Amino acid sequence: MDPAALIPIPDAIPVAWGWLQFFLLLTFFLHIVLMNAMLGAAFIALVTHLRGGHASPYTAAVAGNLPFAVAFTVNFGVAPLLFAQVLYGHFIYVSSILMAVFWLSIIALLISAYALAYVYKYQYARLGNGRLPVAGLITLLLLIVAFLFASNLSLMQDPARWSRYFDRPQGMLLNLADPMLLPRYLHFMVSSVAVGGLTMALFFDRKHRKGDPSASPWVKQGCRWFAHATLLNVAVGLWFLVALPKGVLTVSTTAGLLLTASLACGVLLAAPAVAFALAGRVMPATWCGLGAIALMILARGLLRAALLAPWFSLSQLPVRASYSSFTFFLFFLVAGLALIVWMVRFTLRSCAAREARP
Amino acid sequence: MNYPVWQLDAFGGGLWIVLIAVFHVYISHFAVGGGLFLVLAERKAQRENDPAMLDYVRAHARFFLLLTMVAGSITGVGIWFIMSLLNPAATSILVHTFVFAWASEWVFFLIEIVALFLYYATFGRMESGRHQALGWIYFGAAWMSLVLINGVIGFMLTPGAWPKDANFWSGFFNPSFWPSLFFRTFLALIIAGLFGLTTAAWLKDARLRTVMTRFCARWLLLPFVFFVASAAWYRAALPAELQEMIFARMPSMRPYVNGFFLCSPVLVVAGLLLIFRLPVGLARALALALLLIGQLYIGCFEFIREGGRRPYIIREVMYSTSILKKDADRVRQEGVLSSAKWVRHREITDANRLAAGRELYNLLCLACHAVGGPMRDIKQLTAPFTPSGLDAMISGMEVFYPAMPPFAGTPEERAALALYVAQGLNGRSDPAPVALVEKKVEIPAFDPAASPFVLLAWSPQSMRSVAEVKGVLSLLPPGNSLRAQLIKRGETPELVNQGVALSYRFAGDGGAGKPAISGELTAEEDVFVVDNIPLRPGVGPSADPYPTAIIEARDESDALLAETTVVAPVSAEIGCSACHGGAGQGDRPGLYRETALHILRVHDRLSGTSLLAEAQGGATVRCQSCHADALVKAQGDPARLNLSAAIHGFHANYLRGKGAEACGFCHPSSNTVVARCLRDIHAAVGMDCVNCHGAVEDHALGLLQQERRAGKGQAAALMAHLRPRSAGGLEEVAPRQPWINQPDCLHCHVDFQAPETDTVVNARTNDEQGLYRNRTDDSGRLFCAACHSGAHAVYPADNPSGAQLDVLQPLQYQGNRLPLGANRNCAVCHTVAMADEMHHANSLRAFRNE
Repeated sequence: MDPAALIPIPDAIPVAWGWLQFFLLLTFFLHIVLMNAMLGAAFIALVTHLRGGHASPYTAAVAGNLPFAVAFTVNFGVAPLLFAQVLYGHFIYVSSILMAVFWLSIIALLISAYALAYVYKYQYARLGNGRLPVAGLITLLLLIVAFLFASNLSLMQDPARWSRYFDRPQGMLLNLADPMLLPRYLHFMVSSVAVGGLTMALFFDRKHRKGDPSASPWVKQGCRWFAHATLLNVAVGLWFLVALPKGVLTVSTTAGLLLTASLACGVLLAAPAVAFALAGRVMPATWCGLGAIALMILARGLLRAALLAPWFSLSQLPVRASYSSFTFFLFFLVAGLALIVWMVRFTLRSCAAREARP
Repeated sequence: MNYPVWQLDAFGGGLWIVLIAVFHVYISHFAVGGGLFLVLAERKAQRENDPAMLDYVRAHARFFLLLTMVAGSITGVGIWFIMSLLNPAATSILVHTFVFAWASEWVFFLIEIVALFLYYATFGRMESGRHQALGWIYFGAAWMSLVLINGVIGFMLTPGAWPKDANFWSGFFNPSFWPSLFFRTFLALIIAGLFGLTTAAWLKDARLRTVMTRFCARWLLLPFVFFVASAAWYRAALPAELQEMIFARMPSMRPYVNGFFLCSPVLVVAGLLLIFRLPVGLARALALALLLIGQLYIGCFEFIREGGRRPYIIREVMYSTSILKKDADRVRQEGVLSSAKWVRHREITDANRLAAGRELYNLLCLACHAVGGPMRDIKQLTAPFTPSGLDAMISGMEVFYPAMPPFAGTPEERAALALYVAQGLNGRSDPAPVALVEKKVEIPAFDPAASPFVLLAWSPQSMRSVAEVKGVLSLLPPGNSLRAQLIKRGETPELVNQGVALSYRFAGDGGAGKPAISGELTAEEDVFVVDNIPLRPGVGPSADPYPTAIIEARDESDALLAETTVVAPVSAEIGCSACHGGAGQGDRPGLYRETALHILRVHDRLSGTSLLAEAQGGATVRCQSCHADALVKAQGDPARLNLSAAIHGFHANYLRGKGAEACGFCHPSSNTVVARCLRDIHAAVGMDCVNCHGAVEDHALGLLQQERRAGKGQAAALMAHLRPRSAGGLEEVAPRQPWINQPDCLHCHVDFQAPETDTVVNARTNDEQGLYRNRTDDSGRLFCAACHSGAHAVYPADNPSGAQLDVLQPLQYQGNRLPLGANRNCAVCHTVAMADEMHHANSLRAFRNE
């Protein structure tokens, strides 16, 4: 069956695709950073428990903050999923249906992980030896969720494999035959460990700056996690590169050149990030790390465009302009962000004022 | 059409969306109202300087945070997931139209998270007024989320001008936007009270428990007044046809409408009760019960709203089959399998018919109907149908079930779908054509030279249909008739009607050991008659639709003057069981006990009667008690449709566009029954029901026209989806009384000549006297049927059940199969040849169709 015949006809988009692509990349970047921090922290907490640390300042900090991380990861996952549906709905709806059972199971897995995160937080003191299985289960659930997301994105950009639906229409398909799937997934997961380490370093660095002398070893440990995981990720990234279809990574086309350049810059930026981390310089390592992630997110978008190029390009999407609704959103976005900033500052000020009161 | 279908079978029919959405909607309304509850409860604690109350508010805030964040926000994402899995095409329209409404909602969702975390984390760490400000921000953001989602949800029910202008604002501020917003806002406040009651009921401090329970009860009672007002406004804002659909035309909505109305006073009464100080156990039980009732309450409301949208997923834009309304005509012409992207079988063949039917089911049905699951299970709903019955049902399903969309595909696709469901899923099949066993009849002797009498007998009914299940339903009671005329032969024959007695006796016994059915015929001027002979042929393999009776004429000394044999056609093989079930595999079509019960059930559902209860109470429901029927001289209720108009008017909607096979669905005319009532010369030359009676639409419309003009509103409703096949418009359809205004021989055989047409259009007999069965020859004494036999069996008839059966008298008196006296055989009665056409014009000639 001709895969092109299976691709649904897309609906019209309300503004030029560039706007939607911009918000997709921006919000996805934020989502990935948060997701990495959440999953990486859970993973490192698990390893800490495995190493015999049933109670450490780090696992206590993870337990205290993991629910926030889940909440913001989910929230920042909603926006890119929305923009991805607008731009690639006719691909992602199909892949979601093909793996529907797994896709829908994400909701149950997420609720379980989120609920366990609160158990970890509020029952941390009581759990004792139970912290290890709880942290383990949270990590496992989040790893499965991440794998299912990676699978969906793999299947979405692989229409040539869609016709397997006709033999198995029950929503039980995965795209395990995709040579990119495993390195892609591992790339994200190792990145999570790196960012988890960086988050640990940042958290304790702040404590250290506030005068907590016991925070210093944790800063170093966080930096080590970041540096080692990033180095490992270079190897995984190479595996990913090798698994890419031939002709994607090229300098002979503008798209190929952009993809190659963003990948190269990302890798190049990772080098100083590792160096700063090993030197214990948390903030420079953070900025370089975030820059590398941003470039990788950009490369990811370009790779998707290249993989879908035989079937579709964003410029083909019909536009039925509705800029007034876009303006409406921009207003709320700016006002909302301003309100959040004000609210945080207001809270900090108010708490400080209360604490300062005799 | 555009997307693959997740083949869920038992979990299909939208089960997952119900499971996720009903729960999420409850929590998400709590997330709105609960925000205000926290702020006002905190303010109360502050004003009353009550630290215990403040502790309660803090604990409730934690409960609120955990529930709304963990379950509420993730199930919100779950709704998105499940929408796109089950209705990707509709989700795509919503996402592409309202992407920036949703994006704005995401901003408010972010504000909610930040505000709620800050609010909970800073309890006791901020000055109270400032802390409450965070709560107010949370509530404002949550309410704005409601505002934005309300616009999208309302669009699906009342898209307003959007289908025409595709404008974001037309769709967002749709006709139900404002009333729905107020409705949901007040509902959110009530739900906040319900959750508050639950946490308050578990407070250990009895004083505080009482105070907070009363506080929460006020959250039920105060918004309730506004809630009811906004509900009325909401209803009034719906287009009139939508209101009619939800509250009148959709029986499936009644449980939810009733549930909603029933829960309302329960909430009020419980709220009032809780104002009093109740024992702690009772208060807790009541709080939990109310929480559950709240879930039911909002569940009923969402079912009503979702149900009211049917048969659309986005009203007036996209059907629940994911077919755009504007594409429906094209898809119907080109076919679903040709239009859909995700199908394997583009053409239907004998080899793939069931598999293609499955694909059609996935595309057109699975979104609403599970296969063997809890959501509108298709196996259960279609259990009574045979494939052809279901095919007919699908062809008209939108007429009486307004929640159903019109079938989207071609007739061939419809048949494949029906086959898959009825045969593939339910194992039902249509009755196979019956192999008939030839029935032989002993014909009494007649000596043309010596016999002094000719006894002519006939059945005025071409076929008496019997449909009756004692103790349940009587649709067509038994009641065959016979007519006979005794002619004393001679050059001038005489009709004998005095000094003789005619009797009849059916062959065989009367069934179940009873004696043979027999009796006397009564002289009425020139003809001997008997009516209401209780023949019940049954539907079993041994059923005989052509029982024969010997008729004897005896003088006053009981000497036999003449005898003849006549057939009394009677059949119980009516097609009710094709759609109403009851027939087992291999059974003939008919009215079985289960069939009758199903008919009553459907009648109750569609007409708001309680006939099933009557039958279950032991009474036989007689159709003619309400519906007049000239056949059995029943007056019925003059305000209701007569039986023929009701039955034909209803069922014609499922048989549109068909020829004589439409008649064969119910009447015993097809080769799947033994009776095969069309057996005369007209059938032999290839004519069928439609030639004389018109297509089923015309046949029904004539009956309905009569009733409509008599001011019966139901007639207009039944006519709404019927289009005349022979007349130009509805007004041109001639009104018709059943059993009185009928087609007649002379409509084609004008002046007894060879016909110039084989089709009767809008021509009917004027009155009962004009009916073929009541008319006589030019002498005014000899009945047409005496020489030609009854309608549908006129000589030379060829009955498939026995070549002799419908020509017994021609064989007896003439040794051939022709009308009495045909081919100038006047000697049968006159004993000599005749020169004058004294019976009717054109009678002295060679028979044309011998």
